[in-house]
Amino acid sequence: MSAETLKVGIISCSGEAIPEGTISRLATRRVLELLRPDATVTLCLPLFLAGNEAERNFAKTHPTITIDGCDKQCARWGTEKHSGPVSGALVVSDLLGTAATDCRRSSRGASQVDKEAIWAVAEQIAAEVDRVLADAAPPVGAGMGTSAAQCACSSPIPGGKLAVKGVTVSIPGLPLIFEQCVERSIPADAGGSAALLDVVKIYHCILPEEEAEYRSALLAAYQDFRRGKNQEK
Amino acid sequence: MNNEANEKPVLVIPCSGIGKVHGLISREATYLVTGELAPGRTETLCLALLVKGDAEAVAAVRDHACITIDGCPKACAEKNVEMAGGRAARAIQVAEAFKEHRGAKPGNATGLTDDGWAIAREVAAAVAGEASRLRGGEEVTR
Repeated sequence: MSAETLKVGIISCSGEAIPEGTISRLATRRVLELLRPDATVTLCLPLFLAGNEAERNFAKTHPTITIDGCDKQCARWGTEKHSGPVSGALVVSDLLGTAATDCRRSSRGASQVDKEAIWAVAEQIAAEVDRVLADAAPPVGAGMGTSAAQCACSSPIPGGKLAVKGVTVSIPGLPLIFEQCVERSIPADAGGSAALLDVVKIYHCILPEEEAEYRSALLAAYQDFRRGKNQEK
Repeated sequence: MNNEANEKPVLVIPCSGIGKVHGLISREATYLVTGELAPGRTETLCLALLVKGDAEAVAAVRDHACITIDGCPKACAEKNVEMAGGRAARAIQVAEAFKEHRGAKPGNATGLTDDGWAIAREVAAAVAGEASRLRGGEEVTR
């Protein structure tokens, strides 16, 4: 692996025929956009056959994790056949079991069950990314360059800023995190601040001694966010 | 396409591209066709199964009329159907639909806006029309 492989590749199955395929795809997107935006890239699985040499070399130039909807494991099989061995392989039907029974194939009118399934899988993918990166143990400061085979989707999303102890802190995807908190009905008051902190800690490192300050700052920012949402209505 | 083939559901196969909104539109348009506009007359299958070379999937694209919906000019759905020995009776490019929607904000690869759903519905309507014609024995010129 070259220094360029510091980003983990995530290849999702397309899985059009089953809800687990949609969960696989959307959970992968969530990791790329929100959970590990600076550490991951992706590629469309069908490109291994339809694409060029750079695309087929994807798994040779990135430690790659495949996300499959079912035990046929098409993403893993296709990636390993056309691109090289994978560093990790997750199967949504194994992760969720019967929890995916009521999920839908289309994202239209997604229910709470759909959303929770996507978040659950996304968090598992993020943990797998962390494991792969730890195993790869790249040299500090090695290049974080992009590959010719990288999709445009891997650009980090805008973050939000918080003032914590007089220091401005940037948290990737904070508006989306707040959006998720609204969907989960986390209240914008002291009672909800612990849950708010727990959610943000998934995406942003917060030391135990900083938690009180972060909790206050997050609650204030969340209240502003909710006020803004209400004014839009 | 013989009469027996015309009685079979038309396979609608999207690319489901994960990098851009076009891929999501291809996927959601497929669900609109198979779930709402032409249920029973159309079906979908996992494109990844074709990539894998799954025997049932390969047989399906060889035995059924296929319509592919691709998000970008790399045309992964169309190419993978052809590599599996099938043929796309009609190959639709989502990007073409955007020409009628200058300035539209369709969303992103994770979610569609109202603009995005409108485009998906247009693509779906076109696919349903083609599927109907294919089942009637009229093969559409590409």
